[in-house]
Amino acid sequence: MNNSLSSSLLVRVAVLSLVVVFFQIGVVSEVPIFGINVDLSPLLVAFIGLLCGSMIGCVSGFAVGLLVDLALLQTLGLTSLIFTLIGFWAGRLREVRDPQAALTPLLVGAGATAVALVGYSLMEFMLGVDAPVSLDLLKQIVLEVLVNAVVALPMWALVRWALQGALPEDPRRRRRRRAYTTGGLSPLSRA
Amino acid sequence: MYDKSVRRRRAVLILLVVLSLLLLTAYFGEASGGRLHQVQRGFLTVVSPIQDGANAALKPVRDLFGWFGNTLHAKSQLSASLKQTDKLRRELVADQAEKRSYRELLALFHLDRLGISSYTPVAATVIGKSPNLWYSTVTIDKGESSGVRVNDPVVNGEGLVGKVAVASSDAAEVDLITDSSMGVSARIGSSTATGIIQPKVGEPNNLLLQYLPATAQPNVGEYVVTSGTVAPPDNSLYPPGILIGQVTSVNEESAYKTVNVHPIVNLHDLDIVEVLTTVDGSRAANLANAVSVLPVGQASSSVNNQSGEQLASVGAGG
Repeated sequence: MNNSLSSSLLVRVAVLSLVVVFFQIGVVSEVPIFGINVDLSPLLVAFIGLLCGSMIGCVSGFAVGLLVDLALLQTLGLTSLIFTLIGFWAGRLREVRDPQAALTPLLVGAGATAVALVGYSLMEFMLGVDAPVSLDLLKQIVLEVLVNAVVALPMWALVRWALQGALPEDPRRRRRRRAYTTGGLSPLSRA
Repeated sequence: MYDKSVRRRRAVLILLVVLSLLLLTAYFGEASGGRLHQVQRGFLTVVSPIQDGANAALKPVRDLFGWFGNTLHAKSQLSASLKQTDKLRRELVADQAEKRSYRELLALFHLDRLGISSYTPVAATVIGKSPNLWYSTVTIDKGESSGVRVNDPVVNGEGLVGKVAVASSDAAEVDLITDSSMGVSARIGSSTATGIIQPKVGEPNNLLLQYLPATAQPNVGEYVVTSGTVAPPDNSLYPPGILIGQVTSVNEESAYKTVNVHPIVNLHDLDIVEVLTTVDGSRAANLANAVSVLPVGQASSSVNNQSGEQLASVGAGG
């Protein structure tokens, strides 16, 4: 998998991250859906990883996490750690499986949100917040995962649109190229 | 070539994870006046004008989404509000007579100077909010330059919102009453029995009024207010009588009574809030200075380890 870092891609990822994080803090967090706050940042990190690979995924995860922690005065390093792992995981998913199903962004978004929420919970327990797992907390986590899954598809479209043209190797372009050179058929069937 | 790429990828991942853990450890271990905290405050100072501008520019978008949400809830709220209006009208008539007597008593004992008027309210706009279940915080556009200090109580037209956790020059971070670090001395409106109100563990949107005496007779639907006082020398961070929430159920499992409380303030829809700023030399100001030099973990654990009224009036700012 080619992970060459073009400056155009880095600039696009940086600008997209800044816009999404500030839009999240200023608008999305203040508009609850069914009493649940949508969190775009884990979706952003996962989709960057899914489009750009594990290297850019984990670096952007770290940067977005640091930005979130700085802007919201949260425990520094906590979100960075979780988002680094999410970005890397999504990137490896692309590199190893390269999933093409239409529902992939939805599942990856739900998975990233679940990892973020469970990761936060575990870290908070380890940092000494006295909060045993309760049914209500689990309900909140499940609801947030579901709501984020709904938002995942438009978010995927946005991230893909913003990064299109600068991606190291666009799976869609690769498919199109393969179809063009083989006439849409496999070499075996043509033979 | 492939091995080199794999090695580089793993090295970057390990480097970032280690860096995150180092940041986490350093941040958690240092006092709130430490270097990393200062960096955060500096960052907030730099980005707060941007957040402020973005907040103003994107307000129509937020209002539009809010309008859809409010319309969906309006019908169910209407019938509940009508019932509540009838109940309140009856209570108003009964309270008017008591109010006259109360005013006479206040004037008689010169108690009016101990009220909320001893604070200086500073109106602020909410410019950011944490989406995280574990951080119930909002960012406001007023900071130290407007007289806002750490631990100042924050209210809005509905009731108690929280307290200032961090203040930079032009912005401040407010811990909402549902944040795990909060604890407020409170009483149920009709009684004098006080307890400590804290977020309900595992239920981030609900509160728990704990340590009520067994003799207290709380009823579902009663209002819970702050019981603090601003009378020196025992003045607490929160002035008395600020509405916090409404009793939803009562538990009698232990020697103390605990009461489930639903916050009266819609914490999902905060726009304008008021910070009740304190004057130099007051107990609240002194507490803010004392708490600011404690490490984060120590400050929260010292708060949690204290009990009863002491916790309410000192550690958690009751």
